Amino acid sequence: MTRPVRAGAPLLEIRGLSKHYGTIRALDDVSFHLGRDEVVGLLGDNGAGKSTLVKCLAGAVIPTAGEVYLHGEQKVFSTPAEARREGIETVYQQLALVDIFDIAANFYLGREMTRTGWRGRFGMLDRRSMKKRARAAVELLPARFPNLDALIETMSGGQRQVVAISRAGFWGGRLLLLDEPTAALGVKEAAAVLEMIGAMVSAAETDMAMIVISHNMDHVWSICTRLLILRQGRLVADLLKSETSRQEVVAHITGAFD
Amino acid sequence: MSTEDGGSGRDVRGGGRLGALYEAVISKLGSRRVRFTAMQARVGVLVLLAAFFTFRSEYFFTSTNLVNVLVNGAVIGIIGSAMTLLLVARQVDVSVGSAIGFAGAVFAVVARDYGLFWGVVGAVAAAMAIAAINAVAILRFRVNSILTTLATLVAFRGASKLVMDGRAVRVEGFRFLGRTRFEVLGVEIPVAVLVLLLVVAFFYILMRLTKYGQHMYAIGANPQAARLAGIPLERQVGIAFVLTGITVAVAALIVVSQVGAVSPTTGERMEFLALTGVIVGGASLYGGRGSVIGTLVAILILAVLDNGLVLLQVQSFWQEVMRGVLLLGAVVFDQLGRRESEVRMEV
Ligand SMILES: Nc1ncnc2c1ncn2[C@@H]1O[C@H](COP(=O)(O)OP(=O)(O)OP(=O)(O)O)[C@@H](O)[C@H]1O
Ligand SMILES: [Mg+2]
Repeated sequence: MTRPVRAGAPLLEIRGLSKHYGTIRALDDVSFHLGRDEVVGLLGDNGAGKSTLVKCLAGAVIPTAGEVYLHGEQKVFSTPAEARREGIETVYQQLALVDIFDIAANFYLGREMTRTGWRGRFGMLDRRSMKKRARAAVELLPARFPNLDALIETMSGGQRQVVAISRAGFWGGRLLLLDEPTAALGVKEAAAVLEMIGAMVSAAETDMAMIVISHNMDHVWSICTRLLILRQGRLVADLLKSETSRQEVVAHITGAFD
Repeated sequence: MSTEDGGSGRDVRGGGRLGALYEAVISKLGSRRVRFTAMQARVGVLVLLAAFFTFRSEYFFTSTNLVNVLVNGAVIGIIGSAMTLLLVARQVDVSVGSAIGFAGAVFAVVARDYGLFWGVVGAVAAAMAIAAINAVAILRFRVNSILTTLATLVAFRGASKLVMDGRAVRVEGFRFLGRTRFEVLGVEIPVAVLVLLLVVAFFYILMRLTKYGQHMYAIGANPQAARLAGIPLERQVGIAFVLTGITVAVAALIVVSQVGAVSPTTGERMEFLALTGVIVGGASLYGGRGSVIGTLVAILILAVLDNGLVLLQVQSFWQEVMRGVLLLGAVVFDQLGRRESEVRMEV
């Protein structure tokens, strides 16, 4: 197994991370670290454990064993809210949007703005401010929405995906986890979303790292600088794009080297 | 177009004879696009029913009778408000009828032996105990809410008979809630009706204007997304069960005060009446939909129907048939509306 050596304190370090579901080892003793502005592709067959790894980092799944460090400090996330407080934003494979809400309500899902003064103390929502801010953020996106007040249930699969990714980008953070962000997208839409991700990374004021899961090698190749390959829950390769080839990556995914 | 109740709007053109009639009326009025919301439909039904009964019975549209209608709907409306909140979050509580009976029984027995104050305390404690049992079973042990509350419905009907020794208990000196009336604009409004309006206003604000309400709609529409967004599901739903307990206690005190006694059947079938109102009011057992205003209008429809049929001396069995028809109608209407739903939740 190759492991590129990187200088400086890693943004993220994982040691011996495992998640077992009964006898299934969804994730098995995975260790790696991630530098400040790296964009890493996480690859592997169906059931390889990619989503499980992302969920462990996002606080949505509690690992059976292993440690997670951010900037050298150990973190234990027992809820998604705790991971988000540490600047980890996630786009889940199943998107996790509320269909009956519009874009702004989904952006602020779980972190709604409340009004100032006594109304705020009673938890009264500040819908106007939320809408204004979400609108301003969405207008900067390359993707266009005909109607910003439209409910998610009226949107296409691609539009929903853009909403979910924009939500993660809207909150910024220092680590972005994207689980198959382009899976339901057509060629044109996927290109737009990838462009958006690229813009988000380069626009980020502070350093921002990203882990992207995708089954589409072209997408991975166009945005990532490094590739992690999972196979049956184990990390089988950690490669720099500049030092590998697609053939080698595919061989790792399919297990040709086993 | 936005609907106040999170209900659905639909195009009514092309719906057989009624549709044609509607079309004809509207084209006379010169409007091109005809859409109306489920909420407007409910209000329409209420107005039509009221008009019909006014036409058929000279007694119906008197202030005395209208106040009667409100009083009859008050208790169901109070527990229906809390039940709307539960349904929005994909939960239900069918134990409220027995809970009212049990809280009432505890009240009557404790009040008889220790005085009214401790009676009220006992009623609140009884209602909260049932709410706590429901919440723990549903949220901690993950039992489905229908099954849990069905079990408590059965168990606490028995428990209230135990408390009362199977006999009705009279309650002395507690007529205030049931009998006091305040004069508002020349009409004598009973306390129960004022309580109903307060409860509806409270739930309206809670559900429409607060972060908590927003969370409850999210939990009902997509629990997984709500959890991943960091919404504390158990806590928020638990609060709804506590609120249900409080409305049960209030409802029990009103019932006891109105009747002046508690019997083994006090509160019976109220869960079905409330649930009927909540569903006719636009909430769905699948969560994410519903509003207290819809529930209030639906419960008024049901109360007007009961009252009107009595005034017309229609055999009382028809009331039940009509209730069932309304419920089925509402569910079918809801299903049709889903196809081109226009549910609005503004941010
Ligand atoms: N909640 C769960 N309970 C039991 N087994 C699970 C659970 N979640 C995941 N698994 C199992 O863990 C393994 C890894 O699943 P995971 O979702 O991480 O795969 P993946 O690499 O994301 O696959 P895909 O590319 O299909 O999304 C699979 O064998 C899966 O069946
Ligand atoms: Mg996956």
